[in-house]
Amino acid sequence: MATPYGIKLAVHLITNHFGTLVAKVCDNLLRRGPLTLQQVIRYTELTPQQVKNSLLILIQHNCVQAFTLESQGGFGDGPKANTQYLALFSNILHRMRFPKFLEIVSRELDQECKELLEGLLQNGRLTLVQMVERAKSKRKDGCREDAVREGLTKLLAAHFVERCPAPEPLVPEQVKVETTSKKRGTKSAKINEESETIEQRVLAAAGPMEAQRFSMITNTEFDVNGETSTDDSPSLIVGEKRKRDSLELDRESTAEEGEVVLWRANFEEFLRRLRHMACIENVRASLDDGAVKVLKAKLDATRGLEKKVKTEKSDLKKIIESAQNDEVESIVLKRYGRDAYRIFRLLSKNGRLVETDKISDTTFVEKKDAPKILYKMWKDEYLHMEKLVLAPNRNILLWKVNKRPLWEHVLDEMFHAALNLSLRAAYEWDKEKEVINPLEAMTKEERLKQKNIRILLDSSLLKLDDAIMLFHNF
Amino acid sequence: MSAGMNRSQGLSSLKRKQPDSKSPIESLTEHERILYNLIRSKQDMAIWTRDMKRETNIPDNVLNKSLKSLQAKKLIKEVVTIQNKGRKHYIATEFEPSKEITGGAWYVEGSLDTEFINFLKKHCVKIIYEQKIVTLEEILDTIRRSRAFNVEFTTQQIEEIVNALVLDNEILEVKSTGMGEFNSIPIGKVCYRCASKAGLKAEPKIGAMASIPCGVCPQISLCTPDGIISPTTCVYYTKWLDF
Repeated sequence: MATPYGIKLAVHLITNHFGTLVAKVCDNLLRRGPLTLQQVIRYTELTPQQVKNSLLILIQHNCVQAFTLESQGGFGDGPKANTQYLALFSNILHRMRFPKFLEIVSRELDQECKELLEGLLQNGRLTLVQMVERAKSKRKDGCREDAVREGLTKLLAAHFVERCPAPEPLVPEQVKVETTSKKRGTKSAKINEESETIEQRVLAAAGPMEAQRFSMITNTEFDVNGETSTDDSPSLIVGEKRKRDSLELDRESTAEEGEVVLWRANFEEFLRRLRHMACIENVRASLDDGAVKVLKAKLDATRGLEKKVKTEKSDLKKIIESAQNDEVESIVLKRYGRDAYRIFRLLSKNGRLVETDKISDTTFVEKKDAPKILYKMWKDEYLHMEKLVLAPNRNILLWKVNKRPLWEHVLDEMFHAALNLSLRAAYEWDKEKEVINPLEAMTKEERLKQKNIRILLDSSLLKLDDAIMLFHNF
Repeated sequence: MSAGMNRSQGLSSLKRKQPDSKSPIESLTEHERILYNLIRSKQDMAIWTRDMKRETNIPDNVLNKSLKSLQAKKLIKEVVTIQNKGRKHYIATEFEPSKEITGGAWYVEGSLDTEFINFLKKHCVKIIYEQKIVTLEEILDTIRRSRAFNVEFTTQQIEEIVNALVLDNEILEVKSTGMGEFNSIPIGKVCYRCASKAGLKAEPKIGAMASIPCGVCPQISLCTPDGIISPTTCVYYTKWLDF
């Protein structure tokens, strides 16, 4: 979910990588939801060309997905279609983790694959031809086309790379439950989950078919679907009719008859690996090595399967929940102290409302101190409080831990902290660069200290990002 | 800390004292009698001197003199309440102050007997660590046999201590499977083991968020990128980076 500081963090990342104009467009999309080109122009007050360029960059780098929502026109009109742009919050955040993705490929495959992935991460998406060109320019020795092809094959086999989604899929309108239309009666409009559903629907409509997703074989060789399918056109960029208000997306002309496949990193697979690694680490800390081996083998075995995500997630659910609890309890311990830690754990395990007296008895906290501690945690939104009025002068306070809102609150604090780490790192880096006068140049010790500071900030951010993934992605 | 911990005061509140057989009630002045009856009427809840004054309208000097006299005659005694340690409360000697005003078995003179509680907690952890897996009854039994304390604990009291240790995350509550290390314990029975493999000396792992200044900061909700409180001006950061 895109929390307030989550959005600030995402915009910060986009600013760093692409500049303030692109960031402005992105900010509007994140805060307002999917918008048309005209709406973006209006809200950002930028020129149409600036907005178009920004959107192109964001789409290129998989931070925005365009789509058209099929909507029934008015009486007598046919269905209207208008291109909208949806910001992909999670994908923007992945930009913080590119080093982790590269490290996974480096470890599991080889250097060639790592370089290919690097190219994809740096450029957002590439065709095979572009990858070869890039490889050629990087190395002085001869043409590496077959090595690149081989590398790509390995990456596809491991699902680290996938075909890019359709540039502007048609997303069918969600049918509200009506007594007349029995065909799609099972789909009901969930109003309060609408924004989440829109992203899911768009991505589902845009994504290539599973059979095609990790396949090198292009449609020219293997024309199964034909080009007549309108809502399921995987990754063909060239030759599609441009719709009203849409952009001219990147076209690569090749020697072959205009059929070009664009490839990109498959974030889903990297997240799966990271999730596995995190679970194994957590299990290792509390159980013996035998249990760790069993878990590892189980996860490795499910890797090759297609519909693995759901069953896998439920298996790991307990481990992830336990890790999340540990993280929050650690914050409570460090921020509010040991007494608060016991109190929080009591309420967290209990799951129900407990009155102050019972809390102080069970946790061995002074009856006079308990209310103060509880109040502090409540003020910071870590606890929920209810008041029971028994008599004019006799109120009883009841306390509870509400996990769902608390988890979201903690995640927002983590986004805030990640942003802070990033800003402070930039500030420290600027301090180092500001040396103008050679006499003021840093001493060896000072330079070493600045280096250590940077290492500390960077490693803290990587560690915090693991915790963010634990709450947001896993 | 010596093994022979004396812990008579709080726990003895569970026992009831007998009033003096020769009660010198007949030799009370009128004021003393009024006050005594008032105090007695409050039973085990005790009463504050100011409340006594309000209800009887006896002037201060007479009130204090009467109270002193009643105390000397061992008809009333002073107690400390946990809610208002500074206020003088009195109770008739035949009553023991209720749990509500003393705080209960673990309270001594209005405050938690933290030293004793911590000692007892450490003792329990040691027992659990040494025996690897242990039930509540086994812990009680071990304490009794060790003679480390000169008071008797009830099962409930030890259970309270053990539950607090679970909340401290020093020990884990588990259910016996009847197999392996549980083979001497009936299936389903609650037992306890140390939380981490390292046992006594282990430190709980600090989370990622708790390792950085923002994680422990009390002002995080007020901090903004370019506000008065910001990451670039933050003193906690400066301290953290000054190593």
